[in-house]
Amino acid sequence: MTNVAISGINAVDNPGPGVGVIKSIKKKDKNTKIIGLAYDAMEPGVYMDWLTDKVFIMPYPSEGETPFINRLLYIKESCGLDAIIPTLDAELPLFIANGEKLGSFGICTFLPTKEQFRLRAKDRLSDLAQSIGLKVPESRTVTSYEELTKAINEMKFPVMIKGVFYKAYKAFNYQEATSYFNKIVSEWGYPVIVQKVVAGEEMNVVGVGDGEGGDFGMVGIKKLWITSLGKIWTGVTVKHEEMLRTAKNFVKEFNWKGAFELECIVSDDGIYLIEINPRFPAWIYFATGVGINLPERLLSAALGKEPERASNYEPGKLYIRFTDDFVTDMEIFQKIVTRGER
Amino acid sequence: MGKLGRLAINSEGFIFDPETGNSYTINKTGLFILNLLKEEKKTEEIIEKLTEEYDIDREEAMRDITDFIEQLRLFGLINAEEYND
Repeated sequence: MTNVAISGINAVDNPGPGVGVIKSIKKKDKNTKIIGLAYDAMEPGVYMDWLTDKVFIMPYPSEGETPFINRLLYIKESCGLDAIIPTLDAELPLFIANGEKLGSFGICTFLPTKEQFRLRAKDRLSDLAQSIGLKVPESRTVTSYEELTKAINEMKFPVMIKGVFYKAYKAFNYQEATSYFNKIVSEWGYPVIVQKVVAGEEMNVVGVGDGEGGDFGMVGIKKLWITSLGKIWTGVTVKHEEMLRTAKNFVKEFNWKGAFELECIVSDDGIYLIEINPRFPAWIYFATGVGINLPERLLSAALGKEPERASNYEPGKLYIRFTDDFVTDMEIFQKIVTRGER
Repeated sequence: MGKLGRLAINSEGFIFDPETGNSYTINKTGLFILNLLKEEKKTEEIIEKLTEEYDIDREEAMRDITDFIEQLRLFGLINAEEYND
C-alpha cells in the first residue's frame, strides 16, 4: 500500500487543490492511504475522513526548513510516507530545494527544478512566452501614483492592476485604479504591475511534464462562471489545437517536470500568456473527470513507474462546483488542536 | 468551410464550439441556414432553398441570410473573408 501526503486541503471559498488531488488518487485506487497536510485546524479536509486517512498540522514554510522537514520525517516514522504532492505556492520553493534530501529518506516528489520554478516568475514571463511563440500583454511596473497615471495614460482603460505575487483587479477609471493600487501596496507592498487588458477567450491548460520534454497528458478548459474571488465555479473542456500545441512546446522547450497550469487569453491576433502555475489548479478533478487522471499519473511518476500519456478527452464536458456540508464530532477538532494530528 | 466545420450542432438548435467552449442557440430558420452553410452551399442556393421552404420572397430571404451571416461573423464563427459572394 502506498502512503501519500497531500497539502492544500483547505476546501474553502478560495480552495486549495488538495481535495481534488485526493479525489483523483482515490478514484484510481481507493486503498491508497492519504495523509492530509494542513496549516490550520479549521481546514475542511481535516474533517473529511472519507478522503484523508490521517491529517497532520504542518509548521508554516516561513518558519524555516528544519522544523518543516522534521515534521515530515516524524510523519514518515509514525505512519509511513512514500510520496508527497505539495499543491500550495508558498510551499513549493521549500519542497523543490529539499527534493533530494526527502528522496534520500524514501519520500518521493515529482517537482520542477529550481531553474524551472524561477522561469515562470512574473518578471521573466515575457522572455519565456517569446521563446514558445506566445505574446504577453503590455505591462509596466510602477511604484508611485505618478508612474501609475503615466502607465494608464499610455495604455488606456480598462487596465489590470496586479501584485507581483498575488491579486489582480480590473480598473475602468482612475479612482478604481488608485484604490486597487493602494489595496495591493498595503497588503503585498511594492511594486505594482499595470497591465493592458487583452480581449479574447480566457482558457487554461493543465498538464504534467515528464522532465525530459514529454508529458503525461494535458487538458484544456475554459472557465464559464467564476466567483467574486475569480475562482472557477463552472467550466467546459475545449480542444484549442494551437493552445494545446503551445503547451506541448512549453514542456518540450524547458523539459518541464511536474504539474503545471498555463493561463492564456486566446485572441484574434494570437495567444497571450497570462501566468504559469507550477502546480495543479484547484479544479484539477475536472481533468480526472474527463478521463485524464493527472494526479494519479504524477504520483506514478514520482514512485518511479511509467504512467499513461494519453490526452484523449472530449471537448464539451462540463465542470460543476457546488457547496456541501456535513456534521461531525468535537473529537476530531480536539485531537487536531491538542496533538496536531488525527 | 473553415470554422463552421468544427461546430457541434444538435437538431434543437444548440451549437457548441469545441475550440472556444462557447455555446449558442438558434431558431429553426437559423438552423436551416446553418446546416446549408455547413454543406458548403453558395448563398444563391441557400436563398433558393429558403424561399422554397418558407413563404418569403427572394429579397427577404437574401436580407435574412446576409443578416445571419453577419451575426456568425460577429461571433467569430466564420472568418471575415468567408461568404462574401
